[in-house]
This record gives sequence, C-alpha cells and structure tokens, in this order.
Amino acid sequence: MVHITINGKVIKATEGEMLLSVIRRHGIEIPALCHHEAIEPTGNCRLCMVEITREEWDGWKKHVTSCLYPVEEGLIVSTHTPDVIEIRKTILDLQLANCPDSEVIQKMAEEYGIYKTSYEVVPEGDNCIMCYACTRICEVLGRSAISAVGRGHRKEIAPPFGAEPPDCIGCLACAQICPTDVIPWTDRDNTRTIWDRKFELISCKECGRQTIAREFADYLIEKRNIPREYFEICDNCKRSELARKMGEIVARAQEVAI
Amino acid sequence: MKFRFEVNPSLCTGCRTCELACAFAHAQNQKPGRSRIYPLAYEPDKYVPVACLQCDDAACVKSCMFDALKRNEVTGAVELDRERCIKCMACVAACPFGCALLDDVQDEIVKCDLCGGNPACATFCPTKALAYKKI
Ligand code: SF4
Ligand code: SF4
Ligand code: FES
Repeated sequence: MVHITINGKVIKATEGEMLLSVIRRHGIEIPALCHHEAIEPTGNCRLCMVEITREEWDGWKKHVTSCLYPVEEGLIVSTHTPDVIEIRKTILDLQLANCPDSEVIQKMAEEYGIYKTSYEVVPEGDNCIMCYACTRICEVLGRSAISAVGRGHRKEIAPPFGAEPPDCIGCLACAQICPTDVIPWTDRDNTRTIWDRKFELISCKECGRQTIAREFADYLIEKRNIPREYFEICDNCKRSELARKMGEIVARAQEVAI
Repeated sequence: MKFRFEVNPSLCTGCRTCELACAFAHAQNQKPGRSRIYPLAYEPDKYVPVACLQCDDAACVKSCMFDALKRNEVTGAVELDRERCIKCMACVAACPFGCALLDDVQDEIVKCDLCGGNPACATFCPTKALAYKKI
C-alpha cells in the first residue's frame, strides 16, 4: 500500500497500479483514448497527461502520461492545472484536425472549449488515431490478425498484404475496443463481415437467433476446453431449458410428497 | 465464514419481486439494470427462479480471453470487471445456463454478483424461495 496525494487529497493505492486507474477510481474525470484495462498501456494518445511532483523536488514538477505511470509513495498529483489543461487542449485541437468526423473526439474537445480545430484538417482522414488498441487486443486474444502497415502519414492498421486476414476469427474485439469507432463490420442474417472476411454466425438450435462467430467459438472450445454443445443454443433458450429442468425436479418432488 | 446461495424452486410463486429487487440493486445513472435473476414459467402459472449457479469450473470464466471474469473468494460469486470487458459476448455464448447476458440499456455484460455478499433478491423474496445462508 502506498499513499499519494491527488488534487490535495491523500489517497491509498496499491503498489504497481497505474496513476490513471487510481485517479478514475476516485471519480476524477480526465480524458483518455488509448487506455483499456485489458491491454498493456502504451501512452499513445497523451491525453491522460497529469502533473506530478514530490515534497523533496523543491517545486520542480513534470508532466507524465498517467496511464503509464505507476504510483509511488509520496507522489503529489494534480490533474487539472492550467498547464495540463493547455496540453490537453493542444492534443485535442490536433486530434480534431486528424479525426474531423469522430464524435468521441468532438465531444472531448467541446468539454475543453474547442469547437473547431485551429489546424488544417487532414485530407482523407479516417478517424484512426493510431493508438494500437485494436492490434494489442488481438494480440491478447492470441491471434495478431492485424497490424500497422506503411510508413509516415500513410501508416494504417490493416490485415497482412491488405488481403483477408487468415488469423482473424471474427470476434469483433478490435472493433469494440477502438476508441474512435472506425473499424467497420456488419452482421447480416447469419453472416458477419469484418476486414473483408466473412464469418458464419452460430444460429441457436432452438430459436434460430444468431450468437457469436463459429470460428470464435471453435477457438474458445479448443483453447479453453469448453464443451461444444454450450455454444449451440442461445442464452435465452438455455435459461428456458434450465427452468424446464428445475420444473421437472419440483414436479417430481411434489409427486413423491403426494 | 462461507455462504451459499440457495434456491428452493417449489416455494416460488412467480411474483417477480426478485427481478425487481435485482434491477434496482444494479441501477446506474438513475436507471435500473437488467435483472440477473429470471423467474420463468416452466408450465402455465408455475414458476422457478433461474439464476447463475456460480459454477466451480465456470465456463464464463474460461471463455473470457481478457480475464474480465473472476471469482470473489469471499462471496463465492464470479464477478465481472467492467474495465476489462470488451463485450465480445464469449461468456454469453459459453454459459451453459444462459446466465451471463447483455444489458443493452446499460450497454454492459450482466451476471449475478451476489450483490457483493448481500443478495437483494434473497432479502426481498417473500416466500424464502431464495436464501443466502451461512454454511
Ligand atoms: S454465469 Fe453461467 S457459467 Fe458463469 S458461473 Fe454463472 S452459471 Fe456458471
Ligand atoms: S463479454 Fe466481456 S466478460 Fe464476457 S468474455 Fe467477453 S470480455 Fe470477457
Ligand atoms: S490513455 Fe494514457 S496516453 Fe492514451
């Protein structure tokens, strides 16, 4: 257990925890785009910047990305100093030029009083902020189906050789985690399309409702040793099935009692 | 001290109080959550309360590739860590009893967390079909 001060308040935190998690846990709102607990922090978006100092630093202070900064005893943190706010404004202004159509960024920028970027808007911008959350979550899953390709301003996230990614299993983890919601996908009837690949969605054996992608289920069955039949029926029908079984037990018990 | 959530289905009258208690116990932003307990009819007018069994070798825990589902050793409940969940729906598809599902109002995965050790459904069940007991 360590003690840190956030905006004048002494707070207990667990050693090794990142500052951002502690800040958020205490209800202090600071913007962050690339952070997600399921992936290792990368410090790519820079929005979670805060100011830190220590008693013995004699007034000296520095700015750090809180998602990457582990708490340490005696740390003094300020989340909303004029300098920090200025840094965030600059980043949001730039991101707004980079992602003119992203609602998430528009909303964040508005909260910091920016309604229009003061920079020139990137032509053919695609709202991707290159935070790598998508490639990292795919890595956590053990697939690494997509990665960054190209260089400089042409760099983008894509499957290998721009073709259908052979290692993709259609789980949508990348699309779900993307902070600016730029990875397109569709579910139509029992077909899911993502990264130009098509996946069969499992249809419930009882009611026909679609659940997850068949390849995703196969991966879980193999990797995590889960019985295949669990995936054949949707959650609704499985609950009804359990109710029916419990009902049978009740009926049998009542018969015995009579 | 260990506790166990007990269901006595023959006492259930289908009054749906548990469902209401659960929804309010899991309210967020002034909106009730989706109930994690389901009083279901197995025959017309005959009900049983279906809820997560907090399985020992839980399929939901195994299916989560992001470690968002973990056992709370004190209460025995498998709990969801919202910050780690990416809503891939693996747990929803894997639970053999359909007791992990998506709440589309709150936009999150819901499953019974035994209310952190004081389940509201058991407190409010008028017939004591649900109970949380010391073992
Ligand atoms: S959600 Fe399903 S698999 Fe997970 S503990 Fe509950 S009953 Fe078991
Ligand atoms: S939906 Fe969330 S809790 Fe369920 S398996 Fe996916 S990441 Fe884990
Ligand atoms: S959340 Fe810390 S740099 Fe993006």
